[in-house]
Amino acid sequence: MGEPVKGTVTSLSSIYSPEDAQKASVRVQETISEHQKQIQQLQAFLNDNTNLINLVKKLPDQLHHDIMVPFGQAAFFPGKLIHTNEFLVLLGEGYYADRTSKQTIEILKRRGKDLESQIESLNAVIKDLKFEASFFDETATEAAEGVVEIREDYVDESFNEDEATPGEDEYARILSRIDELEKEEMESEMAEEGEEEEEDKADLSHILSRTYIEPEVKSSEEQIVNEHPVSKRSVQKDAQQNLQLKDTSAFSVSKDSDLSSNIKVPISSASSTLPKPVEQKKLESLPHTPVYKNELSSSSSSTGNDRSKAFTGSIVEHTHNMEKSQTGQPPAPVSKPVSRFKLQRK
Amino acid sequence: MASSSSAARELQKELEVKANDLSKIQKDISKNHQVRKKYTIQLGENELVLKELDLLNEDANVYKLIGPVLVKQDLAEANANVRKRIEYISAELKRLDSTLQDMEEKQNSKKEAIFKLQQRIQSLQAGKAKA
Repeated sequence: MGEPVKGTVTSLSSIYSPEDAQKASVRVQETISEHQKQIQQLQAFLNDNTNLINLVKKLPDQLHHDIMVPFGQAAFFPGKLIHTNEFLVLLGEGYYADRTSKQTIEILKRRGKDLESQIESLNAVIKDLKFEASFFDETATEAAEGVVEIREDYVDESFNEDEATPGEDEYARILSRIDELEKEEMESEMAEEGEEEEEDKADLSHILSRTYIEPEVKSSEEQIVNEHPVSKRSVQKDAQQNLQLKDTSAFSVSKDSDLSSNIKVPISSASSTLPKPVEQKKLESLPHTPVYKNELSSSSSSTGNDRSKAFTGSIVEHTHNMEKSQTGQPPAPVSKPVSRFKLQRK
Repeated sequence: MASSSSAARELQKELEVKANDLSKIQKDISKNHQVRKKYTIQLGENELVLKELDLLNEDANVYKLIGPVLVKQDLAEANANVRKRIEYISAELKRLDSTLQDMEEKQNSKKEAIFKLQQRIQSLQAGKAKA
């Protein structure tokens, strides 16, 4: 506790200027509107298609139809449609085929399905982009509000505990995640009294008492938040953030696995694809850090004496080093600490 | 003093040349993107045609629009033609991919070179300011 706090405090606005974030959001909005235009076009095609299907269905009802035949640009003359069950259908690329009404309708229906799937995929893209835009907006407002980023270098200390030495990094990571969790928990409990708090805290202190590590953030807390079954609310929140940050496929994977607390998939995707977004997410969560800091240290001091020795109570937020440290570690241990964490939880 | 300013001018010129090269490459890349888009659309259309042709009966009449006239074609022939066209387009897409990669590499190296030049100019100017 008494240790001098090392580290730097940088305001978020010096890293991401509000204007830039705003610009990014505007750009995303533009792409959204572009996609929406495309959807409108496709929707028009789809409408045309359904109209055509109805017409083709109706035509063979009679042997002939009286129609006005267009002649040139402006002239029409009366005529008759005969052979009402014979269609010459353009298949594309200049290929035509003779078809009956029924066959034509089948072809048209297939085309309609194609259009629908295209619209669907575009909708998914737009949804993705909207989340991205809201994320940029958030960053912009946070930068404007003067949110700060706290960085502190990791000081390697020798640990007496046998247990702590081999996987200190892992424990550190676990701690950092617990920090994040704790914070999320507190937030959710502010809105609604949570019954799981006691249990959760007991868990946390259990881990704390066995590790004696100066808390150090080396990788994304997002991972653990994802896997934490207790804080469902935060999981949902995270899922949202995931959506902003990852591409669609990664999102769908992680969303499913969040709730079932399947670990491997979200981790690999998060650690491989997310170095930068995670950093931003961390910045986001910073304003609440002090609150939880007190919380954690008080819980640790109440459960054990030597904990105060080990736990300095200073929170180390590594945001910029994160990419480095992540690449420095082999991918295997990334998934390992989580399973240990889970073991301890059980 | 005179030599340093002439050196700076030379560097400036070099920078301009490099910047021009870079913009040329970027133009090429965007052109490549457009062509690729076109081919992708065509590929999709051809695949659609192939699907429909596969669904046709063997005795169905198939026509190909050549200029202003519809020419009757054998179904098998049309099928083969479409397949060939798909093959061609896929090959073309692959080719475009490889050229795009090439161009991107070039672009990156050019960017690096420009960055280095800018640094050199900056250091030169800083040295001048000191002197």
